Amino acid sequence: MLNIALKMLMGDRVKYLGLALGIGFATLLMTQQTSIFIGLLTWGANPVLDVREAQVWVMDPRVRQADQPEALSDQALYRVRSVDGVAWAAPYFRGPSTLRSADGALAAVTLIGVDNQSLIGLPPANRAEAANAIRGRNAIVIDRGTAHLVFPDGRDPVGQTAEINDNRVTITGETRALTTFAGLPIVFMKYTDAISITPPERNKLSFVLVGARDGVSPADLAARIEAQTGLRALTRDQFARAGVDFIINNTGIPLSFGIAIGLGVLVAVVITALTLAMFITENLKNFGALKAIGVTNQQILQMVMGQAWLVGFIGYGLGIGGTAAFIFFGRNDPSLQGFSLHWQVVAGAALVVFVIVSASAFFSVRRVLKMDPAIVFRG
Amino acid sequence: MEFPSGAGSIRVLHRVSLDVAYGAMTFLVGPSGSGKTTMLSILSGTLSPTDGAVEVMGERLDQMRDAELVRFRRRRIGFIFQQYNLIGTLTAAENAAIPLIADGTKTETATRRATDVLAQLGLADHAWKLPRQLSGGQQQRVAIARALVHEPALIVCDEPTAALDAEAGQGVMRLLEDAAKSPDRAVLVVTHDDRIYRFADRILHIEDGRIAPDADHGEPRHAH
Ligand SMILES: Nc1ncnc2c1ncn2[C@@H]1O[C@H](COP(=O)(O)OP(=O)(O)OP(=O)(O)O)[C@@H](O)[C@H]1O
Ligand SMILES: [Mg+2]
Repeated sequence: MLNIALKMLMGDRVKYLGLALGIGFATLLMTQQTSIFIGLLTWGANPVLDVREAQVWVMDPRVRQADQPEALSDQALYRVRSVDGVAWAAPYFRGPSTLRSADGALAAVTLIGVDNQSLIGLPPANRAEAANAIRGRNAIVIDRGTAHLVFPDGRDPVGQTAEINDNRVTITGETRALTTFAGLPIVFMKYTDAISITPPERNKLSFVLVGARDGVSPADLAARIEAQTGLRALTRDQFARAGVDFIINNTGIPLSFGIAIGLGVLVAVVITALTLAMFITENLKNFGALKAIGVTNQQILQMVMGQAWLVGFIGYGLGIGGTAAFIFFGRNDPSLQGFSLHWQVVAGAALVVFVIVSASAFFSVRRVLKMDPAIVFRG
Repeated sequence: MEFPSGAGSIRVLHRVSLDVAYGAMTFLVGPSGSGKTTMLSILSGTLSPTDGAVEVMGERLDQMRDAELVRFRRRRIGFIFQQYNLIGTLTAAENAAIPLIADGTKTETATRRATDVLAQLGLADHAWKLPRQLSGGQQQRVAIARALVHEPALIVCDEPTAALDAEAGQGVMRLLEDAAKSPDRAVLVVTHDDRIYRFADRILHIEDGRIAPDADHGEPRHAH
């Protein structure tokens, strides 16, 4: 009977396509929005993840995420270095600044100062060239992904002079930073340069980056640093996670994405429930005839479920395909960086679609199951 | 048989018994509301009576569980409805094959058998058409094929010609007579349409839920 059921449905092109496209659109909405949401959350972790070498981040106890540092005293660096188990500790400056390009345009940027010797904090991409470029006095290395925000006309930033906080700087190289949630253009300088061009009230150490000695676990080390210095010390994972939590707890993002994803679910529910109910209602007499002829309720249930699952499957495929295409074609766009279709999203959407079409099919077919076959004789 | 009606109920059939002979076309005629459709529904196992025993072809329908009743209908009864009730998105052959498919025959085998039956009914060239590509008379012939394909022992028809013009109605009845009448099959036709009475081997009259006394002929099978 399944064969027959599928033919029955596919013969009804309009409903069949409507259902498949509706479920496809809903799947697209759900999976694409979820992928973007997850992508945005990972951006919250990116400032931390982009500093591969640091196993522990030491900061003022009030700090909640990397883009809102509180000034530490210079002594902090030495106190951290004296903690047993610390292999190395490097200063790291991170703060908002203003960059004026040669033609006078102003842009807010995130200025990062990396340790003069180790250059820890410079992104791993393009590392050797960037390290070379950053050596000179007041030389800055700019993030390629966000440089267009400073130079909207597409000019090559390398070789340009500019002013940061009214100090003359030269852009000597490019690097590729992970996209951050704050989204500001990111420029890198040596730590001492960054401090020297930042106004006195803010020209302070932001973080101390720490590497653990062999055999010392970052978690133990962080605990020890906290105990000895009274500062806050988090492992790389903890601090990355704190960046994600900050977005979840302090922005409207979970709500707005929640609404979009919820709308996807709603569209799926409404379209499948209505279309299936309509399909059943239009075919009610025929289902009555089938029951009279001797088709069992179980067969009818199988037929309708089979129909629902088929369109659910096709629609789901279309939607997932759409999201995959969106991610694939956006892979080189920095504003879509880090977005991917996680298997959990693929599986979750499959489950949601399955539940929705099964429930809709079941609720619409109930009428047929309860129906008295004798109605087929009534006008 | 009683149906609920307002606060109480109305009795529409009163202890009826009728003989529908094998190898013959028996007509059940009577005024509107006399209980013809109700009778046919009960005999074919589509409606369970509120009280009383129902015995059809030696089987006690009132004692059957739902699943048995469905199986009885699927294997022993062929149905022809006034409105044909063909599924619009299936071909004539697929529609006619449904009783076999429902009973577990493979779709291919079933449609092949259905195509043969359609050919007997003069629809060889129409087996792959959809119902809407067929005339009313042709659609009713597809419905006849569907009622015959599984070779049931009893065929029930409720107003088979009511939706057709006189000529098409005659054509359908002629084909029904040729194809359905067989020594091991009984055909029961419920109708108002006196233009097709000439196809009856026997006519039973029903009025107010009672069947008028009439002499028995042939080898009777009972329905109480
Ligand atoms: N499901 C039902 N609920 C309530 N009353 C019903 C139901 N089915 C039939 N009846 C009543 O039972 C009586 C017999 O109906 P039935 O349909 O059997 O008559 P009929 O002889 O087939 O009439 P017609 O020639 O108009 O088709 C009528 O009074 C009808 O109103
Ligand atoms: Mg009737």
